[in-house]
Amino acid sequence: MNILTEMIRGWFGPDKMSDQMVLILSAVTLATLMFVVMALCALVFTWMERKVAGFIQSRYGPMRTGRWHGWAQAVADMLKILGKEDIIPAEANRFFFSFAPILVLLGSLLAWAAIPWSPNFVSADLDLGLFYIFAVSSLAIIGILMAGWASNNKWALYGAARGAAQMVSYEIPLALACIPVVMYTGSLNTSDIVIAQQGGVLNWFLFRNPFIFVAFFMYFIASIAETNRGPFDMPETESELVAGYHTEYTGMRFAFFFLSEYANLFLVSLIASMVFLGGWWSPIPGTDFAPALTFIIKGVLMVLLNMWVRWTLPRVRVDQLMYLCWKVMIPVSLTCVVGAGLWMMWRGQA
Amino acid sequence: MELLNLNIPSWSDLAYWRPEAILCGTFLAALLGDLIGRGRRPAISFVISVFGLITAGAYSVAAVLHGGAAHTIMGDLIIVDGMAAFFRLLFILAGLATVLFSWTAEEIMGRKRENKAEFFYLTVLMTAAMMVMAEARDLLMLFLSMEAVGLVSYVMAGYMRTSLRSTEASLKYVIFGAVSSGIMLYGLSLLYGMTGAMTFDGIRAGLLAGEVNGLSLLITVILILAGMSYKIAAVPFHFWCPDVYEGAPTPVAAIFSVGPKAAGFALMIRFFYTTLAAGADPSASAPLIELINWPLLMAVIAAVTMTYGNLVALRQLNVKRMLAYSSISHVGYLLMGFVLLTDAGLAAILFYLAVYTLMNLGAFFVVVALNNHIKSEELDDYAGIGFRAPWLGTMMVIFLASLTGVPPFAGFAGKFYVFTAVMDRQWFWLAILAALNSVVGLYYYFRVVKAMFLTRPAEGADTTPLKIHWLQYTVLAVLAVPTLVLGFWFGPLKVLADQAIGLLSTGM
Amino acid sequence: MTAADLIFYALAALTLVPALWVVGSPNIVHAGFNLLLTLLGVAGLFAWLGADFLAVAQLMVYIGGVLVLVLFTVMMTRVPQAREADSGAKRAILPGLFALGVLVVLLLVATGTHWGAPALTDAQPTTAEIGANFMTSYIFPFEYVSLVLLAALIGAAILIREPRGTEEDDEAGAAVETAEEEVQS
Repeated sequence: MNILTEMIRGWFGPDKMSDQMVLILSAVTLATLMFVVMALCALVFTWMERKVAGFIQSRYGPMRTGRWHGWAQAVADMLKILGKEDIIPAEANRFFFSFAPILVLLGSLLAWAAIPWSPNFVSADLDLGLFYIFAVSSLAIIGILMAGWASNNKWALYGAARGAAQMVSYEIPLALACIPVVMYTGSLNTSDIVIAQQGGVLNWFLFRNPFIFVAFFMYFIASIAETNRGPFDMPETESELVAGYHTEYTGMRFAFFFLSEYANLFLVSLIASMVFLGGWWSPIPGTDFAPALTFIIKGVLMVLLNMWVRWTLPRVRVDQLMYLCWKVMIPVSLTCVVGAGLWMMWRGQA
Repeated sequence: MELLNLNIPSWSDLAYWRPEAILCGTFLAALLGDLIGRGRRPAISFVISVFGLITAGAYSVAAVLHGGAAHTIMGDLIIVDGMAAFFRLLFILAGLATVLFSWTAEEIMGRKRENKAEFFYLTVLMTAAMMVMAEARDLLMLFLSMEAVGLVSYVMAGYMRTSLRSTEASLKYVIFGAVSSGIMLYGLSLLYGMTGAMTFDGIRAGLLAGEVNGLSLLITVILILAGMSYKIAAVPFHFWCPDVYEGAPTPVAAIFSVGPKAAGFALMIRFFYTTLAAGADPSASAPLIELINWPLLMAVIAAVTMTYGNLVALRQLNVKRMLAYSSISHVGYLLMGFVLLTDAGLAAILFYLAVYTLMNLGAFFVVVALNNHIKSEELDDYAGIGFRAPWLGTMMVIFLASLTGVPPFAGFAGKFYVFTAVMDRQWFWLAILAALNSVVGLYYYFRVVKAMFLTRPAEGADTTPLKIHWLQYTVLAVLAVPTLVLGFWFGPLKVLADQAIGLLSTGM
Repeated sequence: MTAADLIFYALAALTLVPALWVVGSPNIVHAGFNLLLTLLGVAGLFAWLGADFLAVAQLMVYIGGVLVLVLFTVMMTRVPQAREADSGAKRAILPGLFALGVLVVLLLVATGTHWGAPALTDAQPTTAEIGANFMTSYIFPFEYVSLVLLAALIGAAILIREPRGTEEDDEAGAAVETAEEEVQS
């Protein structure tokens, strides 16, 4: 943020602009930048997902577009989506129908602001970082409910209801799993959490405490459910609900949902790497040459793991989903919090 | 990060808080017991609850006998003093009686005793929460403790899930509770804004120090009174009361009619006495009371409450509903003690509350016992019951006579003290109105007696004697004997109430 | 009027205008969605006053929890795009007059009172201090609340429990319901 404000000042010459203007300009720049990064992620990840799915199912996936392993397939898809007719169903509520995708995307975009990409690049270095990320993600739930209701379609409504129930429930183990780490750092600030893991792979929170090790898996499972991906993709089970809450959406509006889905996927993976896997620190002490790159690579690896799970495991039933959350994951996560605390009392902060 | 000036709480304070701590532990233990019994052995929870209540009661008695100074517990927010000790006894009596009586009550346990044991430990928790209400000395704890009692009450009101009436009662209770809590919170926020303090003592100091606008203080007091009036069911926040009492299981209605009400009065006494009234320096606070014309405000509320409750009770044909309106009118009598915020008046409230707890619980429990057999609370169905269960009928006469305030019973002593407290300061019209109201009460209370003993049952009705469970007789006897004895030997209780108010701690 | 004032009025408008809509809207789902804006406005006001933790907690609890459940319930109990319910807007004359009276009185109170509470001077992060206070001066209410929430959880389970006979297979349902209660509290 500071670098950016300095740069903007430099471009326009000193004393030409008030501090507030610089602040607003840099905020707008950052938001645009984040949006572009998000769009790029969605492109790369759709292609990656197809290749992963192909690999797991012993086939090639896209091979033709752009010659090398079909790399341009995602770009072509995106262009096609943008070129589609924008349809609003006749019986839909026009205002909420158009507003819902924006709200969903807003939820992801706001959460991205607090991600610490490198020691000196955090869009919003908030004291409440982690808590803030979980809080603004809840905007997306409202967006999904709005989309499902405004579509005036029974599948969309069921999908939205399922999505809301699932995301509200899994938010709890997701946040609980992060609490042991916050107990260690004594801060919710995302940069502080990463800084506390300096010094090689053994200082990553994943390996600092056996209870955090368990909590990591709780986090991972909850994050799959939170992003509505398989095996927990109840809101959009194509065999039951056509496409869930975005059944009626086309063109640009559909692209928004699509974008936010992959943005959320990358977001939860980045949080995992930030909270448990040492963030921008490389595994070997003293080799932190490219912090941002290290951080992103860790995130992408988590995304790959996520895709692996999605294409390997069969979908669960709704009641199994709820059972897993309330009767398994929340008790285990709570145990992790208590256990990590006891471990800290026994072994100290180390 | 600078974290100095923090008040590190001392765990040893908990020694003065044993009864409450025991009850919280009992709640958890009974909950665990219920889990271990897989919800099929309510006896486990019942025994744990009774044992916990008795232990807590023993410690409470010991604390009263010990007397002694006031102690704040774990920080500054609650205080155990003479008044808290007095109310502890009251709540444990109500809680224990309710738990014991519910064991044999069909409405709680189900016709085939299929219901589980949650009722017992919820009652225990409610007892603890009511005690905390009587101990709160900070706006935060004031609100929290009221909500705690409220939350448990909502569940208990809807305990008969399959009954539409019970569910409706629960819903009404929740909605009224939410609205009145909201109103009260607004008043509390105004009070904080005026004084910048959260503790009652701080508020008092802030009110005396700053230049207080009369209108602002009046509105604030009215808003806060709204929340508390809901708890004690004073007009105009009484609407929930008859419906909830009628819909909720009768043992629940019994504890509602005494427990949360007494707790609400405890909270009101501590809050208004500390913030507005005398306390250490009587001359200093007189302006505050006069500024908002407190006596007139309270006198009007008291007069309207007792008159309304009595007049509507006259027309009730359902005994539970009649008792609900009668409890509203009793709130009116109790509020008379508040008119002057004097020690004598507050002590009279305490005395009356103790007596009221005994007699009102008793009257409700008789209704429970009868409901087990005749499955009805309609006055018509009570015809001739006195001959089928003579002892039960006799006890009902005792309780009702005491509720009326007829001389040899405890209710008379209670009314006597409240009336004198008002007449001492020349509020004759209020005393006369209250006396007239008592006469009206005579009519509807004795209509029940008439139905039980002087009316012949309908042709062909069942006239076999009723078998009342021994546990029910025991509890009723425990309530009835003091109701009789306190009518002519009320000295000790009066001394206890005076002491409690005397030890009401201000400015610690 | 400074920039801070402008922000305040914008946030106040964001809170109040949708709130009016919530009260007056004949469509209960629209009311729910407008509540979103009101709650966001309140969160904004908290942030504007420097209560950062409270602002984010407002987002988390009221939007992420309460509002989602409100909408969820509304949608589950009504068919999509239901007939417009009667919100009682036509019978609003007397209550409206009463509300107007209350407004006048409260305005008199607001302008006439000598406010004694200390004004906030700087906007420091509050989280660490809140946490420390929970563990020291305010440990009693903190622990007390946990007991109350436990009671609420049990209460919710009691209220939705199936009648005996199907108790073995209703546990999952009970869990969902208690969850909702927990989120609400």
